[in-house]
Amino acid sequence: MKLNIEGLLVYFPYDYIYPEQYSYMLELKRTLDAKGHGVLEMPSGTGKTISLLSLIVAYQREYPLEVTKLIYCSRTVPEIEKVVEELRKLMEFYSKETGEKNNILALALSSRKNLCVHPEVSSLRFGKEVDGKCHSLTASYIRAQRHSNPSLPSCRFYEEFDAMGKQVPLPAGVYNLDDLKDFGRRKGWCPYYLARYSILHANIIVYSYHYLLDPKIADLVSKELSKKSVVVFDEAHNIDNVCIDSMSVNITRRTLDRSQANVETLQNTILKIKETDAAKLKEEYRRLVEGLKEANVARETDIYMSNPVLPDEILQEAVPGSIRTAEHFVGFMKRFLEYLKARLRIHHVVQESAPQFLKDIFEKVCIDRKPLRFCAERLRSLLRTLEIADIADFSAITLISNFATLVSTYSKGFTIIIEPFEDRTPTIANPVLHFSCMDPSIAIKPVFERFQSVIITSGTLSPLDIYPRILDFRPVTVASFTMTLARTCLCPLVVGRGNDQVAMTSKFETREDFAVIRNYGNLLLEMSAIVPDGIVAFFTSYTYMENIVASWYEQGILENVQRNKLIFIETPDAAETSMALEKYQEACENGRGAILLSVARGKVSEGIDFVHHFGRAVIMFGVPYVYTQSRILKARLEYLRDQFQIRENDFLTFDAMRHAAQCVGRAIRGKTDYGLMIFADKRYARADKRGKLPRWIQEHLTDGSLNLTIDETVQLSKHFLRQMAHSIHDISNCNVQCFCQLNLSQEDQLGLSLLTLEQLQSEDMLQKIAQIAHQA
Amino acid sequence: MDEEPERAKRWEGGYERTWEILKEDESGSLKATVEEILFQAKRKRVFESHGQVRLGMMRHLYVVIDTSRTMEDQDLKPNRLTSTLKLVEYFVEEYFDQNPISQVGIITTKNKRAEKLTDLAGNPKKHIDALKKAKDSTCGGEPSLYNSLSLAMQTLKHMPGHSSREVLIIFSSLTTCDPANIYELVKTLKALKIRVSVIGLSAEVRVCTVLTRETGGSYHVILDESHFRELLMFHVKPPPATSSSECSLIRMVFLFSLPPGFPQHTIASISDQDAKPSFSQAHLDSTSGGPGLSMGGYFCPQCQAKYTELPVECKVCGLTLVSAPHLARSFHHLFPLEAFQESPLLLHHTERFCEACQGELKDKSVFTCPSCNSVFCVECDLFIHDTLHCCPSCIHSRSAP
Repeated sequence: MKLNIEGLLVYFPYDYIYPEQYSYMLELKRTLDAKGHGVLEMPSGTGKTISLLSLIVAYQREYPLEVTKLIYCSRTVPEIEKVVEELRKLMEFYSKETGEKNNILALALSSRKNLCVHPEVSSLRFGKEVDGKCHSLTASYIRAQRHSNPSLPSCRFYEEFDAMGKQVPLPAGVYNLDDLKDFGRRKGWCPYYLARYSILHANIIVYSYHYLLDPKIADLVSKELSKKSVVVFDEAHNIDNVCIDSMSVNITRRTLDRSQANVETLQNTILKIKETDAAKLKEEYRRLVEGLKEANVARETDIYMSNPVLPDEILQEAVPGSIRTAEHFVGFMKRFLEYLKARLRIHHVVQESAPQFLKDIFEKVCIDRKPLRFCAERLRSLLRTLEIADIADFSAITLISNFATLVSTYSKGFTIIIEPFEDRTPTIANPVLHFSCMDPSIAIKPVFERFQSVIITSGTLSPLDIYPRILDFRPVTVASFTMTLARTCLCPLVVGRGNDQVAMTSKFETREDFAVIRNYGNLLLEMSAIVPDGIVAFFTSYTYMENIVASWYEQGILENVQRNKLIFIETPDAAETSMALEKYQEACENGRGAILLSVARGKVSEGIDFVHHFGRAVIMFGVPYVYTQSRILKARLEYLRDQFQIRENDFLTFDAMRHAAQCVGRAIRGKTDYGLMIFADKRYARADKRGKLPRWIQEHLTDGSLNLTIDETVQLSKHFLRQMAHSIHDISNCNVQCFCQLNLSQEDQLGLSLLTLEQLQSEDMLQKIAQIAHQA
Repeated sequence: MDEEPERAKRWEGGYERTWEILKEDESGSLKATVEEILFQAKRKRVFESHGQVRLGMMRHLYVVIDTSRTMEDQDLKPNRLTSTLKLVEYFVEEYFDQNPISQVGIITTKNKRAEKLTDLAGNPKKHIDALKKAKDSTCGGEPSLYNSLSLAMQTLKHMPGHSSREVLIIFSSLTTCDPANIYELVKTLKALKIRVSVIGLSAEVRVCTVLTRETGGSYHVILDESHFRELLMFHVKPPPATSSSECSLIRMVFLFSLPPGFPQHTIASISDQDAKPSFSQAHLDSTSGGPGLSMGGYFCPQCQAKYTELPVECKVCGLTLVSAPHLARSFHHLFPLEAFQESPLLLHHTERFCEACQGELKDKSVFTCPSCNSVFCVECDLFIHDTLHCCPSCIHSRSAP
């Protein structure tokens, strides 16, 4: 259908639209109009992706000079592919409606591992191996060497692409990862480089967060993207952690050892080159004297996105004399490594700020701040000069040099923690130096500064005001949308007590309490008897899960549960977990019924959807607080309090509740789905916890469903499940995304939670829609 | 309280939020919606029988009753098993009333296996006796969908192609314990055109959803006891025959007890000196039961085999033996009474009383017969469509002149 969103003609590829989608598009349009940033929360399964795509594509067509590019960032490869498929549907609709051929180029970009078509390279199993191998075949100096020595191996796809591919741009269309591969195979061009090259002129790019947020990758891939782009971060509830991870460095003794080896290799290579080709080193020296002028020019003309690892000052200055020659630099690195080694040789925990660290290093080994700052850039230049093929081998020394640059550049927002052993194994010495970023805004700042609109969206972003604070930006729109439902298909319940009235909580003081564990067990047992097919239970941590399960085993609870359902457990091992998941789904499918015990913040809680019968109930045992004894966390909390005036407790609760919401949100993946959400901890009933749940869950959490006993929960659940099952004969098993073939006999939903064009244009519906968006 | 002295005491029952039923609900709208749906469903039974649809009049139905551990649950009073058996009893009676030329068999499943309670037969008495006996049996273990379905399939697959083959499962448990992949069995069932319907007593189970969808049956989950009853009664009506089912001319013989010129059915009287008790063919097969000797019975006109009950397929010559009332009673399915038009009471100023029961019209809507324009209340409308199958007012007006 064609919609009129405040004067903008939007093609929407379905015959029906949810009211909240309309409302979402309205807000989005206002954000784009204002050329500002936005934070939008809308529950999963309500068609967020298609609303985003249709509106932004329409905007692009209407104002081609205002918005030139859409950059859509998602988390995982399957999600990326799903987005591209939606986009394809939209494009087909466009060409059907307008009758003209589309000139929009949209493509997905992923790592070499997912895009490589070289028969040998693509068969490698790990991403790193693929990258390394690819590099050894396609690096520029390797290819230069090949001119003199044609017997060296090469990648014919890259050669072909380099020779032909750059002249003709990729024809317009929608390219998923597989399409790119097919295209590459047909033409004999390397799909990865083709995609990387094509993103410069593509209208829509779909790729992973890291291409924008991780400074190392962003510098390679995304720095030339146009300023007039709209950036969308989907599933962005964890975006602050992604930012922090991309800026943090952990150095262990192993890293140091490997760097040591790297330095040795460098030294040898330098010696060799000196004998054969001293001119090259001289040339490099000359370049370094002149400074990194080219980069500076580029930045001034605003072609590139700035890189947080490469601070502005560096560009204006020449590389300091002490590390200008190759030998001196290697010597410098050696000294730095020795210093780090000495620092790791400790028996107690040390925590210090970056300036303290710099002062210490100056006193001990006379390393100044300035050369440290140039470390990363200097190393890169050296590696280029020395023509080292296998970059993967030098990851350790690159890491160290990045650390050196970061520590000397940022005096605020980072902390250095040196721990002599891990918390879990206090007897085994395993010193680690955490250089930890505490301010997610450092990594994301260039993105906000460079692009005119950045949209942060997810199913669970509540409380909405905290994201702008921790990411340090000013949004023009902040809104949360609820699901309009023809039937109440989600049933959140807070279970606070057992039948014996003992409070249920995973609070630290009582978590070992026998009565609490027994009550948790009883809850699981009772639920296993009344919930059909699949139940997913989340614990707060692996250790807690292990303790509880062991105790349940002793009490015979597990045995009783197993009479009703099979039990599967998530483990930190990915292979084991995916095996368990597979079997779990099989058991749900054939009527045996199963329970999956997993961990909040684990793999299951983030990436896996439990559609329909795979998750009829989610039980959240306890409040998933992050491990508060960790020093990194403590430092971060302190920083948040000092810099952003966010109290520790607020942040911890916020973090716990967003993970809890993520976990329980796994069960509902659309309006036709239904599921119980059981919060098994009395603390959820408190206003500060409840208030931080997303609005679409809060809405259904009435006073009557708070602080229940197990018995009451069972009765309510039974009632709910029957009520929901009542309309099952209408429910065809439909894909979550395709709400076009809505079941629940469409007439029931029509007009209430599903609108046709005519209904949408009616006056009172527009008023209703205005209420959906909740301005935070 | 006085009416139902046998009912469990309040404190023995589960925790119920009785006050919520009374809630005037403005925000939730759920309760109202469900009631609306229920009312619609009530009317639907009337509506659905419309149009000229081919119905599978000769039905072979296996009722599978789950007697697993979960049947001891007390959410139906006094417990699920007793309540279910009582309703099934009622269902069997009703079934034979409406489908006299059809047959029913009962299977129970517990402890991971399935047992035949009664074979396919056309006599309600035997089934009801068996059901009464089953009330005392204990529940235990897990049910097995696979075993019960394959047991039902073994018999049903030999039934003639023109009859409808059906299985109705009353499923209380949420799990099933199967010896093999049930989806293979579902494929076989589909190929054999066996329709499987499920009534769930607790919640929607995925495997049942797939099973019923694939085989073309229906799947419902009960809300409470009255809803359960309604759902069961839904299965009394013959289902539309699948277009692929065979059409074959069957030879059917009507057996009469009168007039004496056709003495197929003879009731031995004391005055009849020649009368000798003889064995019925049916009793020869069944190992159980009494001595099997009886005085009266029906004799097949073709081979003179004797049967004590009808309808039956002659064991000797394969003739279908029915009595005339049987067929007559199936007749109304072919020419169902048209649905009455529903209209709000306010439009009817002239009619104050229901044509049938003569009670005052109080409900918000009334029902009008399209042919004679008589007005009926909801209760009478249901009664006419469910039981009478003809409009009393129409008959009255037709016979009057």
